[in-house]
Amino acid sequence: MESSQRDRLSVLVEELTTSGQPQLNQDKMKEIKKICKVSNDCLDHVYHSVMSQLSQEHAEVRLSAFQIATELFTRSHHFRMLLVDNFQEFLELTVETDSEQPLPPPKQVARKLRSLAIQTVQSWQASYGTAYKKLALGYHFLKQVKKVDFQDAEARTVAERRRIEERQRRMETIYKERVEAASRDMDESYQEIQSTLTEMESCMSLLLPEFNLTDNLTTSSSPSNIQPADDCPSAGEQPCCSKDVRDDWREGMIQEREEGLEEKKRNPEEKRGKEEKGMTGEKRIHREEIKEKEVKESSEDEIREDNERREEKGKKKTQKGEDKKVQMVTTQREGMEEEEDCEEEEEENSEEEEDADEEDLFIRNSGLISHSYSLDLNISPGLQVKETEDNEAVVSTVIDLHKLIKTKHLPAVHGWVQVFTKSGAEEQLLRRALDLKQSLEAALQKHKELHIDYRTRIRKVMKASSGGEEDSSDDSDDFDEVPEKEGYEPHIPEHLRAEYGLDPSPSTSAFTKNTPAKRPTAPPVSSSSARRLKQLADEVQDPTCAAATLLRLRQNLPPPTDPSCSSSAPSSQQPSSDQKAADAPVVPFGLDLYYWGQEQPNAGKIVKSASQHQFWFHAEGDVEVENKELLAESKSRYISFPGRFIPVSHYCRAPLDNGSLCQRQDRLKCPFHGRVIPRDDEGRPIRQEDQLREERRKREQQPDWRDAELMRDIEAATGEDLGSDRVHKKGKGKKKKFPNLSDVKQTANTARSRLEKKVFNKSTVRRVAQVMSKADGRKHEKFSNQFNYALN
Amino acid sequence: MLGFLTARQAGLDDPLRLRRAESTRRVLSLTLNPDRDVDRVHGNGVNAIDIDAVEGRYMLSGGADGVIVIYDLENFSGKPQYTCKAVCTVGRSSRHVHKFSVETVQWYPYDTGMFVSSSFDKTMKVWDTETLKPAEVFEFEDNVYSHHLSPIARKHSLIAVGTKNPKIQLCDLKSGSRIHVLQGHRAEVLAVRWSPRYEHILATASADSKVKVWDVRRASGSVLTLDQHNGDKSKASSEAVNTAHNGRVNGLCFTGDGLHLLTTGTDDRMRLWNSATGENTLVNYGKVCNESRKRLQFTVSRGCSPEFVFVPCGSSVAVYALHTGELVTMLRGHYNNVDCCEFHTDYQELYSGGKDCNILAWVPILRTADVEEESNSAPTRAVGQASVNPAFQDAWSSDED
Repeated sequence: MESSQRDRLSVLVEELTTSGQPQLNQDKMKEIKKICKVSNDCLDHVYHSVMSQLSQEHAEVRLSAFQIATELFTRSHHFRMLLVDNFQEFLELTVETDSEQPLPPPKQVARKLRSLAIQTVQSWQASYGTAYKKLALGYHFLKQVKKVDFQDAEARTVAERRRIEERQRRMETIYKERVEAASRDMDESYQEIQSTLTEMESCMSLLLPEFNLTDNLTTSSSPSNIQPADDCPSAGEQPCCSKDVRDDWREGMIQEREEGLEEKKRNPEEKRGKEEKGMTGEKRIHREEIKEKEVKESSEDEIREDNERREEKGKKKTQKGEDKKVQMVTTQREGMEEEEDCEEEEEENSEEEEDADEEDLFIRNSGLISHSYSLDLNISPGLQVKETEDNEAVVSTVIDLHKLIKTKHLPAVHGWVQVFTKSGAEEQLLRRALDLKQSLEAALQKHKELHIDYRTRIRKVMKASSGGEEDSSDDSDDFDEVPEKEGYEPHIPEHLRAEYGLDPSPSTSAFTKNTPAKRPTAPPVSSSSARRLKQLADEVQDPTCAAATLLRLRQNLPPPTDPSCSSSAPSSQQPSSDQKAADAPVVPFGLDLYYWGQEQPNAGKIVKSASQHQFWFHAEGDVEVENKELLAESKSRYISFPGRFIPVSHYCRAPLDNGSLCQRQDRLKCPFHGRVIPRDDEGRPIRQEDQLREERRKREQQPDWRDAELMRDIEAATGEDLGSDRVHKKGKGKKKKFPNLSDVKQTANTARSRLEKKVFNKSTVRRVAQVMSKADGRKHEKFSNQFNYALN
Repeated sequence: MLGFLTARQAGLDDPLRLRRAESTRRVLSLTLNPDRDVDRVHGNGVNAIDIDAVEGRYMLSGGADGVIVIYDLENFSGKPQYTCKAVCTVGRSSRHVHKFSVETVQWYPYDTGMFVSSSFDKTMKVWDTETLKPAEVFEFEDNVYSHHLSPIARKHSLIAVGTKNPKIQLCDLKSGSRIHVLQGHRAEVLAVRWSPRYEHILATASADSKVKVWDVRRASGSVLTLDQHNGDKSKASSEAVNTAHNGRVNGLCFTGDGLHLLTTGTDDRMRLWNSATGENTLVNYGKVCNESRKRLQFTVSRGCSPEFVFVPCGSSVAVYALHTGELVTMLRGHYNNVDCCEFHTDYQELYSGGKDCNILAWVPILRTADVEEESNSAPTRAVGQASVNPAFQDAWSSDED
């Protein structure tokens, strides 16, 4: 046989077996057969290569090799002789006759190989069994000793079948138990879940009533003459206040709409006149929103408007006294860049304008002063529920319910569904569980859509019966009315503040008028350390403490009506004094301070007594010695100034192997990439000398004959492979040899193996051993005099 | 062959020479022959087989399920194709069947009317072949691993029995009682064997790695204890003194002339000893796989010019040249461990039984007749072969061209 044929056969067999395909490539197989037909030597060679592939520890390789063998078995007598001669090994490798040599992974393929092999052996036996004794023997061995049922499609042995049956039975009982437990659980908690759901539902409906504006407005403190307009959203009385707004932004943009232009020309003066009537910006916002709502006729906007109004109420109080000029940047304006949005809105606007004429009259009556209004409006998309004092209780209930559903009910329901689906339980149970799951998920979804804006939850401070505007209704019902707290003093004298655990603030009024948002941050304290501050914060949290009471009082105080004492005034003054206090160094008290500006009487003098004894020597022997060091020490002092810590803001930015840049923030030197030097976006050094150095270092790492380019040149000249393409890939990990085969080792990535990797890690084991031996050693030290400890 | 024949005709040669040469040739050509089958009766592993020494016609086999079968090996049909039929069986349905695995079976050396079997059910039964009923039952305290009747004894009819007990029992067929005990081993006795040369000489192999040779006329102690190092103390560690193997010794076999003794042990070694002096001949047979915890029955050819040893080795039977230790061939045919093999001296056939329930007959291939005409030899041979069995034909399809 020619060596070329031999090589070709080897290559073909290897290609076929490492293809990882369940079926052989027919072309290659044909080629093999064609070569094999020539001589028995070729068959010998194929036989040996097939057997060596069969003994590979990979089921896919084995399957393919087995298929090659089957193809050749039916063709050649010589191959049959060879194979039957070694039939024991063949069966061991394909049918798993030796229990100590199980078929290799992947399991799926191994099973397929096994059943295929058994079927094939049967067919061989049918056609060749009489001629080849060992084949018949092997068949009988399989049939009688291994008890393979050749009729069984799964081709399992008896033991295997029994095992599987047993396992099935066991699984069934387990499933049954699980289903029972789950259904019991479900029955038990069904009620609870339902009640939770209804509760959630009602809470949501409380938070988002369908549309009951009047309810909200009754509590609003807005002037009564505007109210009717808000109350009845009928078209006729609608004041169009957004028109001027629209005009404003239209001035900025290209004026292309003629109708709009005309309109604008017709009634700018009128409108401006109307709007000077003294409406607050907020009111106008409301109206605008109402208008939008009318156009869209959607309830969502109503809700949003409700919420916004609620917010605005708070703001109004603080902003009332401020200048009437309000910046207005509407969402409409923001969306101006996008054509579509523009057009849509303009259509809306044009509609508005139509009924604007009718409303002119009204506007004239309630005209506004300023000519140019710009309002700042943040209209967030979708729903937005803001937690306020009114709905605090509801919202907290919602939070609780949400948590309950998310952490308890939903996982439980998920578990049930899983159990029911796995065990194929009755449909009814499954449907019920699914319904529950659906409704729970719907509730969660709804909750998500609400976009509830939670306030940061602080520990609930004691409810003082301060008679706040809103929260007096339902919350305080739970508490009994108590007489004023004993020792409660609304005004604490300045000198006693510290005693009460309060910050000695100089101007109480300024603090009490702070906006609620600023409350939680304690005002800066002039001479208190951080520890003290912390203590104070703790006290505030404690409802039994006076500080908490004060905080509560502050929160409930009515907002300031006087614009002169707005929040900005005190806060601007305070920082300066604080600054000074912080800058001044704190120095320990010393002799130099004691004698500041005076001559020190006996600085640097030490009374030296010859003996320490009291009465063996008389006091006359005392000698005063002058010490220069001590003198200097008592007259001057050193204050070390370490400077201020400046965090490092630069990165190393050396290019890494994975293409990214080094993110280390070392001040001077990166432990991996040396000195931190300025680099460009791709990690190359900017400065010339740095570049040179980098280059040099890179070259040093490899001997210069390993330079890839040089090697390539040499290779091109000599025609020999020096491995130039390997130079830079060195150590990057081996490439997978046969990419088509499924990775056998990958399947080993189980929880167990991962844990094993951790637990049996060499260093871990060593560490544990160290600790244990140390403990042993300690015992030994302690009890070494007792013989039973001394021995081990 | 022709040379031998003419020399024989001319009376130049001893008749024995031709016989030896031919039997050697036949032994060397042993193979699994599709023409010879043995009935599949055993539903479990075959532990022991024995061929009667009188006629060489009947074969006994003892199975791991307690079944004993007698086969007829003689082929009177005149055709090459022959299946050895089971003549009679002591099946599971029999009242007298051994309860547990039969470990050893042996024909009475002078007559096929009687045979002896011993089993793990702690009994040894002496059977009447005609009625298939035990004529005598010896009961022991422990599992019986092995027993043996002397093939040449004329002055005694003792059966040596090796049991789990280190003491070797000697049972007398004449009186039907246990008459003697041989003490000396420290662990269970796995194999016992009478010398085919001296009727009072008995060799025993034990799990304490020792092989002892006894003269049963002198019961005080063993005559010899075989030492693998031949008394060279420097090589043996203190506890390995006087041991034949470094593991359990589970096989024991005298050569046909009784001059040599072969032992096998779980140290995967086979050793050949001079049975007269107890000297280790230091023949190296290489590794002889042996994991059996029970007796291993192996055999030696007779009447060949270099004698051969047939020893079970995993799932195959290894054939070694006795005195050179050269591995001649491996007879591969069993699908599981082989436990026993027996050589048919008259026909140079080998029978082997294994855990795969099969008893395989290894029969010498007949030399194919030389075709006289050289001219059309190649095509006729191919045709002739094909006419024998169509399964031997190649079936290359034409579309692969």
